[in-house]
Formats: sequence, structure tokens, C-alpha cells
Amino acid sequence: MKASKILAWLAIAIGAIYFFVPLIGTFEFSLRMRRGVYSFDAYQSVFTDDQFRATFGFSMLMALVTIVVGMLLIVPTAYWVRLRLPQMRPVVEFITLLPLVIPAIVIVFGYLRLYNSSSWIPFTGSTQGTNILLTFSYVTLALPYMYRSVDTAMRTIDVRTLTEAAEILGAKWPTIMFRCIFPNVMSGVLSGAFITLAIVMGEFTMAALLNRPAFGPYLQLVGANKAYEPSALAVIAFAITWLSMGLIQLVSRFSKLTPSRP
Amino acid sequence: MSFLVLESIKKSFGATQVVKDFNMSIEKGEFVSFLGPSGCGKTTVLRMIAGFESPSDGAISINGRNQNTLKTNQRNIGMVFQAYALFPNMNVFDNVAFGLKVAGKSKDEIETRVKEMLKLIGLDHLADRYPYQMSGGQQQRVALARALAPKPQVLLLDEPLSALDAKIRVSLREEIRQIQRQLGITTVFVTHDQEEALSISDRIVVMNAGRADQIGTPSEIYNRPTTRFVASFVGTLNIIEATVIDPAANTVQVGENTIRLRESIGALKGGDKLSIALRPEAGSLSESAKGDTSLTGQVISSHFLGSVIRTKLDVGGNQISFDMFNSPDAVLPQPGETLTLRFNAHDFLIVRD
Repeated sequence: MKASKILAWLAIAIGAIYFFVPLIGTFEFSLRMRRGVYSFDAYQSVFTDDQFRATFGFSMLMALVTIVVGMLLIVPTAYWVRLRLPQMRPVVEFITLLPLVIPAIVIVFGYLRLYNSSSWIPFTGSTQGTNILLTFSYVTLALPYMYRSVDTAMRTIDVRTLTEAAEILGAKWPTIMFRCIFPNVMSGVLSGAFITLAIVMGEFTMAALLNRPAFGPYLQLVGANKAYEPSALAVIAFAITWLSMGLIQLVSRFSKLTPSRP
Repeated sequence: MSFLVLESIKKSFGATQVVKDFNMSIEKGEFVSFLGPSGCGKTTVLRMIAGFESPSDGAISINGRNQNTLKTNQRNIGMVFQAYALFPNMNVFDNVAFGLKVAGKSKDEIETRVKEMLKLIGLDHLADRYPYQMSGGQQQRVALARALAPKPQVLLLDEPLSALDAKIRVSLREEIRQIQRQLGITTVFVTHDQEEALSISDRIVVMNAGRADQIGTPSEIYNRPTTRFVASFVGTLNIIEATVIDPAANTVQVGENTIRLRESIGALKGGDKLSIALRPEAGSLSESAKGDTSLTGQVISSHFLGSVIRTKLDVGGNQISFDMFNSPDAVLPQPGETLTLRFNAHDFLIVRD
């Protein structure tokens, strides 16, 4: 075997150890709740906890709403920028990158100042309002990933010509959008959706500071008060993330929407 | 009254005027090609007919109805794009049915029309295929069927053959022409390929720098180009610099040769320079060839090109190419040899800028 190949395998081995040993350690620790034997007691304890079910359900619902709102905002925006305002592309890209640069805690304090109960738009004055505000803040957090995945999908189809082809056949904007554009960027939309799901399920700062019963604050609470359950929750959180990533792969691989180009 | 009328059309993008005072009348059922190099404005004119661009000035009317105020989706025009533009998420049937569904036709009506269209293009057995499962030629046929399905009043073809290989291009252009004749649909075809335009058009518009340089039948465009641009763009042409000898007698001099032109020289005086053009296939070397005019010069080079032999002659400082058909006994003229080419005087054209 060549020296370069040995080095490559060595690098892979070091990387694998770096990533997998802590994970295996966490998993192993989560199985030790019963003295002397391995058991899934920690997982049982987590799954039977009412608060787990409530927070998990809440975050799932928030993730779904975030995905729908995000897509309705981002797909038309990316489409419009590509079709009519290509000169605005750098500006839009910069805006979508801002949530990566500005810490979540700064964003949420900004929200609290702008939308508190004594402001013009008192989102935080009611539970429903706070939930809406939380959804918007999740949309903001997911913006960099969602915009990029949708924009990349749009790059693989000739948006302008498809729009013109539909238009000359008599189609109006809603038909063009929902029958010609959306289905052809579905792989990007779904990739963005799964990333959003992973982000929302693990998000702590926004939910904690807006005082909503989300899965992130629950993870923190359990971590501060219990011994084995946090490890089980960490493994569950990893499983959710990996499942999302696996679904992204599956969607991109089995996507039949290959563009028809010369 | 003509079916499609373009009246004093102008189009500017910022400070650049890409279409300058374009006028054209197209009859119902006519097949007209816009021919010209890249950037001459031919696609812009087509896009204005489609409604994708609005004219800066001028009017477009179809069947007597002004189109300027209508949106693209209200014009009832069919269009085939260079990049096919089939909807990747729909199969062939759904692609062809799209315009009919948008128009709110009944299910039975849609099915009958789509089947009819697929039969017309010979792809009725591929109704369930997706665009990515088909060749370029097949995709473009489907695009044609999709454009024709809603029975448009005008069909626009925007370089539909450019992305295809040479063989498919020839067969598809003949198919397009045959379908167009069969349906009797008024068609505007944009191309930069002169062979394509010459072979399938009723009339050709040769465009240059935003203007129609010449509008005529393929034969008129090829045999009687009226400007230097048309002469040089369509086919191969020898441009010969001649000196006027006697304007009244229409005689000019090329090297040692004196030629009497059929066309009037016009207001030029003796000694003025004049450009005349000659097609390479117009001349003959044969002593017995019919021809009232001749040019004598020295052979520069001679090449065997299979079906023809192309020879370059130097005549009074002008390089003149001429083609003769190959035959088993043909002898290649040798460089330095003196040859006399015979022509008919009407083969010469006066080229005006």
C-alpha cells in the first residue's frame, strides 16, 4: 500500500475516533441507569415523562409551521431575485447570511425590545403572539440554510425560460408558481425543510428567552437536574438530526426532477 | 390586410437601441424567417411579438387587433424555445396538455387534442415519458406539440434547432415546415443559420444592427442581395472592386477586363470605384459555356473539396473564388496558370452599403 493511502486511512481513523468515541461514550453512559447491567431505563424514563412529550410535540409543531412560513417566504423571494432582480442577489444573499453572524441572543433581545407588551406590535403580550414571534425567529435562524438550498435547486432549472413557456401558454402567476416552479425545486425545498426541522428541535436561546415550552429548554432542564436522562436525550437528538440528514440524501437521490436542458 | 403587422417598432435597453424602426407585414399561413448574426435584434423582435418585451415605440397587431396592451398570457401565441423549456416535473402528455388545462378545456377535449398533437409529431407512444428520458430532438418535437395544442394564432420559433446535432436539425426543420403547411399556421422563425432560413421559408428578413436590411423570398435574398451586408452574410460571395469606365453604357473595369453590367450604375462618374458581387458557382471554365462576359486572371490556389473544386483567381488585385463540379476527368488548375472564367452579365450584382 502506498504511503499516501496509509496516511489517508490514518486521517479517516483519527476523524472517526474524534467523532464517534464521545458519542459511543454518551450512548454507553445512557444505558447504565440500572446498577450493574445495561438497560434502556433512561430512555424509558424520558419517553414516559409528560414534559418530554409536551415539549417534543410543541417543537415539532413549531418546526412544521416554520417550514411552511419559511417556504412561502423564501421560494417566491428566490424566484423573484432570479427572474427579475438579479442585481439584488448580493444584497439578498447578505441579508440571508446575517443570522449566522448575529448571535441568537442579540436577535431575541431585539425582538423583546421591539415587540414587548407595551410596544406598537405587542407580540409577547399573549401566548399566541409569542408563539408567532418564536416562529418568525426560527424562520430567521433557518434563513441561511433554506435560502441556499432553494436557490441551488433553482439554479438547476432554467427559471426564466420555464416561466416564459408557461406564460405564453396562458398561465398566470399562481399557476406558474405552484405548477411549474415549486414542483421543480421540491428537492431543495425538502432539504431546507429537514435542516429547519433539525435547527428548531435543538434551539434553546429563542425558546428559553421567550419562555416557550420547547424541546431545547427541556434538554437543558433535564441536563441540569438528572444524571442519565441527558445522555439519552443527547442520543435521541442526534438520531433526529441524522434522520433528517438521511432524508435529505434520500430526497436528493430519488428526485426525478432532472431538468430538461439541451 | 396582413395578419401580423409590425409597424415602426423600436426597442431600446437603456441607451442602446437594439431595434430601429422595424416594419413588416406577414400574411396568414406564411412562414417568415428572421435571419441575422448574434445581436442584430431578431430575437428581441420575436420577444416583442410574444409580449416578453414591450416596444419602446411602434405597434404590433395580429388579425387587426393591437397587441401592445395585451399581456403574454392573453395573446394566444405558441412559442418553441431554443432550450426546449419542457416542464421537468410533467410527462409528455401533461406538458402538451398544459396550455389546454390552463385554458379550462374539458378532460375529453384535452385528451383528444393531446393525442392528435402527439400523433402529428410521431411520438404518441412516448406519452408517459419525462423530458429527461428523451433525446433533444424528441424534446423539441414535444415542445412543438405543446405550442400547437392550444391552436395559437401565431407560432414563434426561437432558434429551435440550434441545440441539436446536424442530422436531427435537417430532419426536424423539414418536419416543422411540413407541420406548418399542414396546419396553415402563421409562423415566425428566428435563426442565424442561413441554410435553415433558405430551405424552409416563404420569406426571409435579413436583419443587421436592429434593422431589416432586406425582405424577400429565399431566391431573391440569395440571388439579388441589395446590400453589402446581405451579400456577405448569405452564402459565399466574391466582392470585386471595379472602376467605372462609362456610366451611360454601364461598363466597368476589373484588372484588364471590361464588363458591361445589366444593372444601372446610377449617378457614378467615370473613374469612380464600384463594388460588384459574384457567386462562386456562377462561373464556368468551359470554352463552350454560355456567357456574354469573361474575366481573365491567374490561379492562386485550387482545392479539391469532394463534390466541388474551389479555385481562387487573382483578377486585377481582386481574389475571386469559383466552384466547379467534380467529375472523374476534372483536372485541378495549377497556381500561376492563366484562366478565363465565363459569366452572364446578369450574374454580377452592384453592391450598395
